[in-house]
Amino acid sequence: MSGTEPRVIVYTCNWNAYSGLETAGIQGLPYPANVHPIKVMCLGRLHPGLILQAFQHGAAGVLLLGCPPEECHYGFGNTRAEELFQQTAALAHLLGIGEERLGLDHVAAGQGEAFATKVRQFTEHLSGDGRS
Amino acid sequence: MVEETITGAGNGLLESDQLWACLTCGRCTEVCPSDVRFLGFIRDVRTLARESGRQGRCSHGATIQTWMRMMADPGLDQNRLDWLNDEAATGRHLRGLRTAKASDTIYFVGCLPHYEVLFSKIGAQAVEIAQSAVKVLNHLGIEPIVLADERCCGHDLLWEGELDTFRRLAALNAERLRATGAQRIVTTCPECARTLKLDYPQHVGDLGMEVVHISHLIAENELGIQDRGARKVTYHDPCRLARHMDIREEPRQVLSALGSEVVEMQHSRARALCCGTSAWTHCGATAKRLQVDRLREAKETGAETLVTSCAKCQIHFKCALDDPRVADELNIEIKDLVTLVAEAIG
Repeated sequence: MSGTEPRVIVYTCNWNAYSGLETAGIQGLPYPANVHPIKVMCLGRLHPGLILQAFQHGAAGVLLLGCPPEECHYGFGNTRAEELFQQTAALAHLLGIGEERLGLDHVAAGQGEAFATKVRQFTEHLSGDGRS
Repeated sequence: MVEETITGAGNGLLESDQLWACLTCGRCTEVCPSDVRFLGFIRDVRTLARESGRQGRCSHGATIQTWMRMMADPGLDQNRLDWLNDEAATGRHLRGLRTAKASDTIYFVGCLPHYEVLFSKIGAQAVEIAQSAVKVLNHLGIEPIVLADERCCGHDLLWEGELDTFRRLAALNAERLRATGAQRIVTTCPECARTLKLDYPQHVGDLGMEVVHISHLIAENELGIQDRGARKVTYHDPCRLARHMDIREEPRQVLSALGSEVVEMQHSRARALCCGTSAWTHCGATAKRLQVDRLREAKETGAETLVTSCAKCQIHFKCALDDPRVADELNIEIKDLVTLVAEAIG
């Protein structure tokens, strides 16, 4: 997959994961140009509808990047993120969206390399046309 | 609203929040002395509002509307039949369900598998309704077709004024339903029944087959149930069934056939109260109030079970009971009619 289309949406939380993204930027670490990060305060604040809408509008994949276990800024956001991920994955399965197109992972604060690697690996596993 | 529209003073209606607050339950039409057909009016005005870029406030983060819109993609390759073999989800009595590639009957499932996922936390029995329906049909000697590429019927989008997406869904379903060569569609969802029976002919032509809600089909047949456990129940009439389609006695006949004593709430049949929300839009304090009022009516009957025949009504009541302040006072078992029948068959 190359170029800016089809888009891959990466939701990052405002804390650990976004810090990883910023560090990747400061360090000039490359990741695919079709990756569009969207910062939210906490992954637990997302809703299945927001993720499904990305697929509705043609996203090839959606990756949720939050805080490592036990490091959630709000304490319970990780648990909520896991619940909404499972719920969304089940709905995506019903809608025929391959499981490789939706991911949940975490990045520690300041880990630019981990951010770039995780985003790159997720994107490489997607098929070229945005469908599975 | 109607008067303002007729007199030309209703220019603000399209921007009005009230436009989306209507439950489209049809209760006003039942009692209107001037024969105002408010349902058609509100639907048409909402279509105008949507055409000019306005919309209601979607509940559940627009998750439900989004999957409906996704299903309008003809290329969608869904995995929507896992529930047929999902024995872990429900009891032993729902194993060994039989469907067929060719049959005179189609069971139209609707969004039940999706509701199961979204509302599992409040104990929605959505997939159990679908499994029970196939079990009951099997009991009546029917092995139905269940379509792997069925789409949402489009009911909610139609009533929210999103006519173009509704028509795309309807066209996809009509093509697939006609291709089966079946003569009859059975639904467990009153909204699917209404939409396929009354709205599809207007938008995508006659399907060439009968559309029946499963309560109607069961009422017409002898269930042959020997072990009839006595149960005192009250029945909540879903708006689409009781007022839009005049199906009020059949579900009660089915309950009587199960040996249940049916006790009526203060408002029942054509005067029944709505479960509080329609088309997954505009849920809020008013919806909750309506749900609590209805649950209070159910509780006052002394019934041990509140029976519905609409998955959405069940979800809305269970959501209200998810609030401990409501549950402490009004807790009551809530079951779908078809799941009760499947349990009685054993």
